[in-house]
Amino acid sequence: MNRARENMIAGLTDDLTPVRSFRLRDGVILAGIAGLLSLAGVAVIKGLWMGAFQGDATPFFWITNGLLLLLGCASTLAVIAMASPHIGNSREAAKWATAMVGVLPLAAIISLIPRTDPMGAIADPVSYHCMVDSLVASLLVGIVLVLWLRRGAPVSHNAAGWHTGLAAGALGTVAYGLSCALDTMVHLGIWHMLPVVIAAVIGRLVVPPLIRW
Amino acid sequence: MIADEATLSRLMAKAQQGDRPAYNVLLSEAGMWLERYFRRRVPPHQQDDLVQDVLMALHAKRASYDPARPFLPWLAAIARYRWIDHLRKVYRTETELLEEGDAVEDSEEDVIAARVSLERLFVHLPQGQAEAIELVKIEGRSIREAAKKTGQSESLIKVNIHRGLKKLSALVEKAE
Repeated sequence: MNRARENMIAGLTDDLTPVRSFRLRDGVILAGIAGLLSLAGVAVIKGLWMGAFQGDATPFFWITNGLLLLLGCASTLAVIAMASPHIGNSREAAKWATAMVGVLPLAAIISLIPRTDPMGAIADPVSYHCMVDSLVASLLVGIVLVLWLRRGAPVSHNAAGWHTGLAAGALGTVAYGLSCALDTMVHLGIWHMLPVVIAAVIGRLVVPPLIRW
Repeated sequence: MIADEATLSRLMAKAQQGDRPAYNVLLSEAGMWLERYFRRRVPPHQQDDLVQDVLMALHAKRASYDPARPFLPWLAAIARYRWIDHLRKVYRTETELLEEGDAVEDSEEDVIAARVSLERLFVHLPQGQAEAIELVKIEGRSIREAAKKTGQSESLIKVNIHRGLKKLSALVEKAE
């Protein structure tokens, strides 16, 4: 070993202070709290749709929100794991969850094809609010995940951006979705999917520069 | 002789708790491991800078190591990341080549070393991109020389380097 490296190692050793080591569980707890706070915010500001819990919701309501929850959890776990780089880190669960959720907008579009006025079926007065409010509800989870990544050492920046957006978008849309009483396939498959797509694109564009090290 | 995976993991866990003697040993061992790791992928005179760069990254990001997981795949991910960054930054004007004698054969590669190696990343690149990066960024040849040697146009060499490095950075954590 040469002298320069010996000196550097001596300097780094002197500089050593204890650190709290990376724990997957800590990240899950943080993201979980952020998700629950988003849900609480939606409940306070918008109020949850209690009819859904009394059997008034169509199966699409539960299928959509259930799949989005799975996507949110899978993507969140992927992001949390990416903060601790590792050859062999796999994001397969998140990829498959994304593919499964992708079936919903396809189903919505296919169901619109035979209709005489498909645009009329899509455009309902509250749809735009669903999209915007879902994105707002995604913010907290997104911020927490970015802070988590900044604390760690992510090496796959673009993937981290996509997955942060997907996680935040999916969990935010579920939180908002529990307040939305529009439970048709078309509404859920389009207006509750758009925020996830938009959040993923925003994540891909915004997150990488924030986590570079 | 470089310490084994279990020893390195244990040393790193102790270092995270502030154990300086353990950290000193870990950095020395990691330095030797990195020397071997970069041997065929960095010209000798740049190797030490890169090893030191990775050791500093190890220090700065030591909290990101999860003691429940093996140490070397974590170190290798950081090493790959810094190496790709190094390839992006370095554009050597001199035409110094890696001599045959610089690439010393390892007596044996263990399973982890194979899984995390730099060589494997190149398998995922199209041949043109791998050749362009090898010749220009690793061997230090000029764009013109690389174009002549590969039969690609100079513009294509530049495009292939750009695309290849972009692709490599997306493969940092890939094991196979």
